[in-house]
Amino acid sequence: MNDNSPETKIKVSVKQLNFFYNDTLALKDISLDFPDRSVTALIGPSGCGKSTLLRVLNRMYDLYPGQRAEGRVEVDGENIISPGVTVSALRAKIGMVFQRPTPFPMSIYDNIAFPVRLYRRLPRQQMDELVEEVLSKAALWNEVKDKLNRSGLSLSGGQQQRLCIARTIAIKPEIVLLDEPASALDPISMGQIDELIEELRHEYCVIMVTHNLQQASRVSDYTAFLYLGELIEFDTTNAIFTSPKIKRTEDYITGRFG
Amino acid sequence: MEETAPAGTMASRNSNAFDQAKVPAAQRPRLVAFGSGFEPVFGLASRAAALLVVLVMAGIFATLCYQSFPAFKTFGLPFIFNSSWNPVTDKFGALPAVTGTLITSIVAVVCGAPLALGVAFYLNELCPFRLRSILTTTIELLAAIPSIIYGMWGLFVLVPIMSKIIQPAVINALGPLPLIGAFFQGPPFGIGMLTAGLILSIMILPFIASVSLQAFATVPVALREAAYGTGASVWEVCYRIILPYTKTGIIGAIMLGLGRALGETMAVTFVIGNAHRIQMSLFAPGTTISATLANEFTEAFGKMYLSSLLALGLILFAITFVVLVITRILLHSANRKIPV
Repeated sequence: MNDNSPETKIKVSVKQLNFFYNDTLALKDISLDFPDRSVTALIGPSGCGKSTLLRVLNRMYDLYPGQRAEGRVEVDGENIISPGVTVSALRAKIGMVFQRPTPFPMSIYDNIAFPVRLYRRLPRQQMDELVEEVLSKAALWNEVKDKLNRSGLSLSGGQQQRLCIARTIAIKPEIVLLDEPASALDPISMGQIDELIEELRHEYCVIMVTHNLQQASRVSDYTAFLYLGELIEFDTTNAIFTSPKIKRTEDYITGRFG
Repeated sequence: MEETAPAGTMASRNSNAFDQAKVPAAQRPRLVAFGSGFEPVFGLASRAAALLVVLVMAGIFATLCYQSFPAFKTFGLPFIFNSSWNPVTDKFGALPAVTGTLITSIVAVVCGAPLALGVAFYLNELCPFRLRSILTTTIELLAAIPSIIYGMWGLFVLVPIMSKIIQPAVINALGPLPLIGAFFQGPPFGIGMLTAGLILSIMILPFIASVSLQAFATVPVALREAAYGTGASVWEVCYRIILPYTKTGIIGAIMLGLGRALGETMAVTFVIGNAHRIQMSLFAPGTTISATLANEFTEAFGKMYLSSLLALGLILFAITFVVLVITRILLHSANRKIPV
């Protein structure tokens, strides 16, 4: 699974990105290309900036004053951190799943339909089909098909997380950002999420932050190792985990620090 | 060396405590703390303070019941539903004051709650960081303005505006309409139920806004980000995510505002017109329970008159108590909500 086809197209290209929390430099001169239709894992010790990098990609930092990005982040060649970009249009292209499940306070059905309705008016029957389609993709349909009107909050943690993934792919994004999507879940749910990520890589550019190195090695095609806001090494997951070129990467993945 | 010194003294102090027999009595550490003699006094005092609150509460309630008994005995339960209030013939009924209280409070909530929620949403989602603290302080100040100031401002500023501009315009526009027209008729006095309700809405705004803000703070950061992450606009996040998530807290906040509006006295007394009449029009002068009490206590010489006033007080007590209990239950369940 860790083999990479060399002709993969670059979906997201980060160029000399600096990121500030007020005056603190959290990302230093990051340059990195994320290939399309593959899973890229961002690893590194806490506070290394991997979540920050993820939050730059969908401009989530816009919500907070005092946070700003400098440099270029190109999605299909367009610089998304320039002020002229329509953030909601960008976010329609980019889905995000968080560490803790975040079902919306509405029915299971509406959890899928709400984000879709933000962009498209669908007749009821088509919406029904879409809901079934994405819930099936998220391996949740059989568990919830009889209770679509129940609150999304009534599901278990693992189910909630799969609901969130279903919701994310319902708007047909091109990029899926996963911020430690399985770390708050039990091992079985975690396995289900991993399988789901396997599925996602055929269709999307998946970028995943994880603390779980096993998960990174299992499901990702590429791995980037960040440390103290700097990109230390980026390569195929195979290369990173079997023959890292930099000593610090090797120390981290073998558990000697971090 | 310096690090080990304190540890050493600790150890020796401990060993002293255990080998009491070897040390002369005068040098033994006290096994009883210095404050222990004061302990029972403090315990009693604080218990007494707590008890006092209950006693005062019970005393007020008992006084109200006792003193209003003659009125209830004479007029019976119909006291509540009787609309005549005539000190000359000693015939009293609570209905005008009760309906006035409810109508002004409902007007206050209907006008005040959307405003307060608007303020709260602005502060929570849109407000630039620096403006936030200025606005929050302003809202707190609004709550700190004494009620009588609102009353004077209402009488000297709001009433002329109402009678010269707003009421004539509304009477012309809505008065001829069927059904709702009845609420907007009559001469534009300026004073009246609507004016009182509007003053109240400004007075309860800070309470609703600040309790709503507390409720908004229970929304998990990730939920809010997830909602924005789907590309939802601020309005969609507020209306579809934050509002449903904090529903019980918001209702509790509104009930809290309602509770304040029900009991508010001075500001209402200034602008309501103090008429014991039930009229459909919101522009008509009316009265509320607290305004009646404030106005008439000094001149209530008859026994039945006084007793009827106290009976009004008891009814107000009961209404606000029910509202408070509902508020408590709602806010309690809002705070116990399992985080997503």
